[in-house]
Amino acid sequence: MSSTIIPFGPQHPVLPEPLHIRLVMEDEKIVEAIPAIGYVHRGLEKLTETKDFTQNVYIVERVCGICSVMHAMAYCQGIEELMNIVVPDRAKFLRVIWAELHRIHSHLLWLGLLADAFGFESLFMQVWRDREKVMDIMEETAGARVVISANAIGGTRRDLSKEQMVKINLTIDEIKHDLEQVESVFLNNYTVKHRLVGRGILTKADAIELCAVGPMARASGISMDLRTTGYSAYGQLDFEPVLHNDGDNYARTYVRLKEIYQSIDLIKQAISKIPEGEHLVPVKGMPPKGEVISRVEQPRGEVLYYLRANGTKNLERLRLRTPTFANIPSLMKMLPGSQLSDVPLLILTIDPCISCTER
Amino acid sequence: MFKMMGNIFKNLVSKPATRLYPFEKREPFKNTRGQIAGCDIDKCIFCGICQRKCPADAIVVNKEEKSWEIDQFRCVICNACVEACPKKCIISSETHKTPQYKKDKLKIVQTEKITESTGKITT
Amino acid sequence: MIENLEGIAIDQLLAETQKCKYEGYRFITATCADNGDETIDIIYHFDKDYVMKNYRVTFNKGEAVPSISKIFLCAVLVENEIKELFGVNVTDIAIDYGGHMLLSEEELDSPMLRRQITVEKRGGK
Repeated sequence: MSSTIIPFGPQHPVLPEPLHIRLVMEDEKIVEAIPAIGYVHRGLEKLTETKDFTQNVYIVERVCGICSVMHAMAYCQGIEELMNIVVPDRAKFLRVIWAELHRIHSHLLWLGLLADAFGFESLFMQVWRDREKVMDIMEETAGARVVISANAIGGTRRDLSKEQMVKINLTIDEIKHDLEQVESVFLNNYTVKHRLVGRGILTKADAIELCAVGPMARASGISMDLRTTGYSAYGQLDFEPVLHNDGDNYARTYVRLKEIYQSIDLIKQAISKIPEGEHLVPVKGMPPKGEVISRVEQPRGEVLYYLRANGTKNLERLRLRTPTFANIPSLMKMLPGSQLSDVPLLILTIDPCISCTER
Repeated sequence: MFKMMGNIFKNLVSKPATRLYPFEKREPFKNTRGQIAGCDIDKCIFCGICQRKCPADAIVVNKEEKSWEIDQFRCVICNACVEACPKKCIISSETHKTPQYKKDKLKIVQTEKITESTGKITT
Repeated sequence: MIENLEGIAIDQLLAETQKCKYEGYRFITATCADNGDETIDIIYHFDKDYVMKNYRVTFNKGEAVPSISKIFLCAVLVENEIKELFGVNVTDIAIDYGGHMLLSEEELDSPMLRRQITVEKRGGK
């Protein structure tokens, strides 16, 4: 029984971003795993201290490409609370529609990467073809495909017309129809289940102790979804968090797949309930002295923004903690006991977004 | 195993989902943010608001020489300048910028009012 | 604006954190900020059933702060980041990356601290 140390290096075909894990192994079974980050540190928190509080929206959106709308939403909600700005109702519903579209595209991207990780390339291409329809909606309604810059302090920059809302409804019906055909492959196929069921188990007690957030916690049985607190327009929509009790890879796939259906339902509810009104309120003055915390549910979990202002046009401190930052320590409990060939798949099921982690 | 068969047959008989890119290009949607193509120099009053609002520090406005310059490779195409301009003279176009060999800046200088023409000097 | 914010001293930190763990609170993160007058603030955020509880610790630059990673293992990454970016002396972290987690050798030490930058004008260009 000899132990070898293998670096699961920063470059790996399965990872979308660089992450380094040091695996201590004994003959194909992993005994210990230590993660290390720091390959894409850009120093964005320091950059926000030198720019205006209105220019910071554009910087904060570019922390991550996949969850960019929710970053801007959390920042704008924080500044609006500091300056006591009341956002019109129509703007709140518009923000919810764009946020849920982003959640659909993020989960579809993850499902495609998962299928690619165990070699099922045609399934990966089917899922990404549906993702293209969501990107086309974003380009048509907000002006860009990935970083859409739709949020501004005081509301949203653009409005949605009636024809656009009808088109959104038709497109998400098509996505739902396509997804129903692909769902049975993810959940009931014999070879796929062999790689997912029973691997990488994170028990409920471990998830509570390591403070996991997002779909990882919901797949281990903890009912935690920040959208139920009712920020923005979520208080007027009804839904329930999707849960599963097993805590293995299959549970996490199940939770993310069912969340796509939940987002489709939320968009339909929001489009039917949206009130008339304006979409932007003008903002005057500087943020007064004070601190505020705002939290939003991103596709990967809960993000926390801490803002401290001192009466000038620059913020004194902006701190953001993204959900992958909280999910990486769970790797230290999930990896020991599994085989080396399962490691890429396990790391992908936490949905790593490393550029968010080390802004 | 046979659940994907319906999908497979549909894919075999329908046309491909991709397009042959350099030969067929897609029309961009309306109001897409492609690039900042320049500004209408006759209307510009050189107030400098666009320079202050730009998050990437890509615009330089010079009131004495009456010139407006943008570094299109620093621009993140957020259109904050287009919304902030009081005379609405910054032009945003829908097609993206093609790759170039050198990083030139786009500089527009206002000539004397008699001839009413814009001189475009790229340095 | 921040709910349930309490200021405590450094030696009460471990006791309060242990109490939070017994009561079932979840550790979210720790925020470090430079106050500009030679003191540094660290705010610890906890949450239970969507209600937050925050503790603020204020101390001078150079003092040692104990690590809470023995109580909450997930605090490892945050404490390494505070140690590197702000130069705070955090002792006994469970996994210590030795100052190289985010920064490499050729960068400034503690880049997030406020410092005076003087611009020298040399003759010529």
